[in-house]
Amino acid sequence: MMASFKLVWRNLTRRPLRSVLTVASIVVAVFLICSLRTLITTIRAGVENADSRRLAVMSATGLFVEMPMKYQAEINKIPGVELTTKFQWFGGYYRSQKNFFAQFAIDPDTMFAMYPECQVPPEQIEAFRTNRTSCLIGEVLAQKFDWKPGDTIPIIGALHPHPDDKAWEFQVAGVYHSSVPNFDNQTMFFHWDYYEETLKESGPMPGVGVFSIRVDKGADVPRVIADVEEAFQDSEQRVDCVTEAEFQRQFVTMFGNIPLFVGWIGSGVVLAILLACINTMLMSMREQTAEIGVLKSLGFTDGSMFGLLLVQALVLCGLGGGLGILFAWATSGPVAEQLGAMFPGYRIHPETYGLAVIITVGIGLVAGLVPAWSARSLRCVQALRGTD
Amino acid sequence: MFVPLSYNLRSLFVRKSATLLTVLGIGATVAIVSGVVALIMGFRTMFTAGGRDDVAVFLRPGANSEGDSQFSRDRGLKLIKSVPEIAEGPQGPLASMEAYLAVLLSPERGGLTNVPLRGVQTPTFEIRKGELAIIEGENFRPGSDELIVGQRLVGHIQGCHLGGVITLNKTPFRVVGVFEHEGQFGGEIWGDLDRLLAAMGRYGPNRVIAQLAPGTEIGAPDPTQVMFSDDPPQPKEGTMAARLLTDTEVPAKVYSETQFLASQTVMLTGLLGFLAVALGLIMGLAAIFTATNTMLSALAARTHEIGILLAMGFRPIPIFLSFMFEALVLGLIGGLAGSVMALPFNGVRAGTMNFQTFTEMAFSFRVTPLVLGIAISFAMMLGLLGGAWPAWRAARLKPTIALRQG
Repeated sequence: MMASFKLVWRNLTRRPLRSVLTVASIVVAVFLICSLRTLITTIRAGVENADSRRLAVMSATGLFVEMPMKYQAEINKIPGVELTTKFQWFGGYYRSQKNFFAQFAIDPDTMFAMYPECQVPPEQIEAFRTNRTSCLIGEVLAQKFDWKPGDTIPIIGALHPHPDDKAWEFQVAGVYHSSVPNFDNQTMFFHWDYYEETLKESGPMPGVGVFSIRVDKGADVPRVIADVEEAFQDSEQRVDCVTEAEFQRQFVTMFGNIPLFVGWIGSGVVLAILLACINTMLMSMREQTAEIGVLKSLGFTDGSMFGLLLVQALVLCGLGGGLGILFAWATSGPVAEQLGAMFPGYRIHPETYGLAVIITVGIGLVAGLVPAWSARSLRCVQALRGTD
Repeated sequence: MFVPLSYNLRSLFVRKSATLLTVLGIGATVAIVSGVVALIMGFRTMFTAGGRDDVAVFLRPGANSEGDSQFSRDRGLKLIKSVPEIAEGPQGPLASMEAYLAVLLSPERGGLTNVPLRGVQTPTFEIRKGELAIIEGENFRPGSDELIVGQRLVGHIQGCHLGGVITLNKTPFRVVGVFEHEGQFGGEIWGDLDRLLAAMGRYGPNRVIAQLAPGTEIGAPDPTQVMFSDDPPQPKEGTMAARLLTDTEVPAKVYSETQFLASQTVMLTGLLGFLAVALGLIMGLAAIFTATNTMLSALAARTHEIGILLAMGFRPIPIFLSFMFEALVLGLIGGLAGSVMALPFNGVRAGTMNFQTFTEMAFSFRVTPLVLGIAISFAMMLGLLGGAWPAWRAARLKPTIALRQG
């Protein structure tokens, strides 16, 4: 048994360059498969990690249509509603658009109760509460721009220009950390009151983009949803009320068939690598023909020759797959940083690694099967005659 | 003296299985990369087709997209009146205020999606005379609760067909026509500006567009640079862009429509371009490895023959070139195979989110001759890179040693 492993290894190192190149292509492919699948799992993470007790209320016309602030009091009266909080998308940018990140005007009194996953040291929450023009930033933002508590951040209000035609200014009161993958670590939250009072001077009363609701434990969610929608049927803006999972799913469906295309790309990668491995295995099989003849005449069985070739393929792919997974794991930090703005919370799931293992073993089996079968059915005389 | 090319072609044929596998491997790589490039092409055509240099887009200073921009109705009117560069049409200035809003509608496939809705005024149709055509039904009547829908939405979004009803907030609008536009408007819903503003409870348009008198210089800086630079370039002194930006009554940011559309596509084009380059590099690397393997084994099998060639008096450089030619042919066939694999994608419909406005955009893959050209050159480059090392080794063989082998 040991001897045959030695034989496998000798055969693989007979042409070291070829084996290295094949292993390298598998490494590349496995890395690509892990990254592509992670893009999709990242997009979907929001749906899977949604809190089943939270609902979102938005205008039935569209996400960019504001609802009147007074809706909050109406929603609070609906039985089964435990807590509500409001959000408004600010849509500004820091210095130039390439530094895009999300900013929301929020109500600090209800926001933190609604989202316990948004974790802030108590003294920073206190600092935020007491300073009307302050903000909280996600730890990724703090790192990226090197912002610290006490800094002042100018934000150009592209969607909500400052009435005095200048940048809005926010003092950093604290840095939050998110404990779950679907609560983004690169958002800025600031005081609703600051937002409202600044805009009220020059234009119409600002409205609310989204209300979040938390229902009572054990509340009948479909009934609460129906009650909320019913309550505003005849008001100036009709509303849509959906579960948090559904709200997130809408963003996923907006990606359209991009996830499908990513799947196609993944299959193309697998196909290309499969062909490369078959090619390598056929080449090495051809070189081993004479030796297989010798081994068979020495009394090695057809089955052991079959195994010899198959194990070579599996070792080659296993090596490539293992290194590829290692490479994907080692680079996931920098990749996440690069893709952060588009795919917040980029993190390779254990299932993705599992998938990569299955794919490489599968490629090894398929690539090894053809040469292994011909090694099995090779007749000694033919093989010993030397030429293929 | 050069080695006859038929020698290489035959040897590719003799080693059928290795050649076929390599060709398919290169083909798969090339097909994927050209698929992404075809997506970029389709997306750009969809967005920038119909972009015109003689049409100016006026936005609020500081706004970067139509969604961000906002004018009150009075200021919009004042702006149109105060710009002498706007061309005159049969019924006054060729300028129109437009409202733009993403509305939540149901796609036929289920769920909800944001569809762009545009409120326009009559001069819009005068400006768009050559590019937009009603292909079914008729145009909406000004001041009525009627809509026309872009052809790309038909069969895709519920209610978007002749005779359909789309309820905006609480007002039902009737679809009276379907229009065709090669560019982005072909995926939008259009209606009367004032009726849409009223229905949605909005107080003003988002942007103003105008056809300019011939020869007008707008003088706006490259919007992509404005968006992505910490120190944005300023409009050219003395042009209308510079004047309007600092106007005391109605300040506005002006771009030509071509510039504006380029600024709206830059993010997704950049993302897809990054994807194409990353995939091309990573998968290309794997394809080069395969090609090198194939050529190395071709070399190993033919060491003896090369010895004969050298003994006959062929110089190392022709031998090197001969192997490079073989690798090039391998790449070329791979490129052709990849193109054949990519062709079925032509016309396949894609839909994704426009990250600047959060609306869904529908467009198609476009496998153009340019895409195929890129694919084939890329494949030939892969072949050459993969063949370089084996060809170098072949050229360096010593005739005596080579002859002793095989």
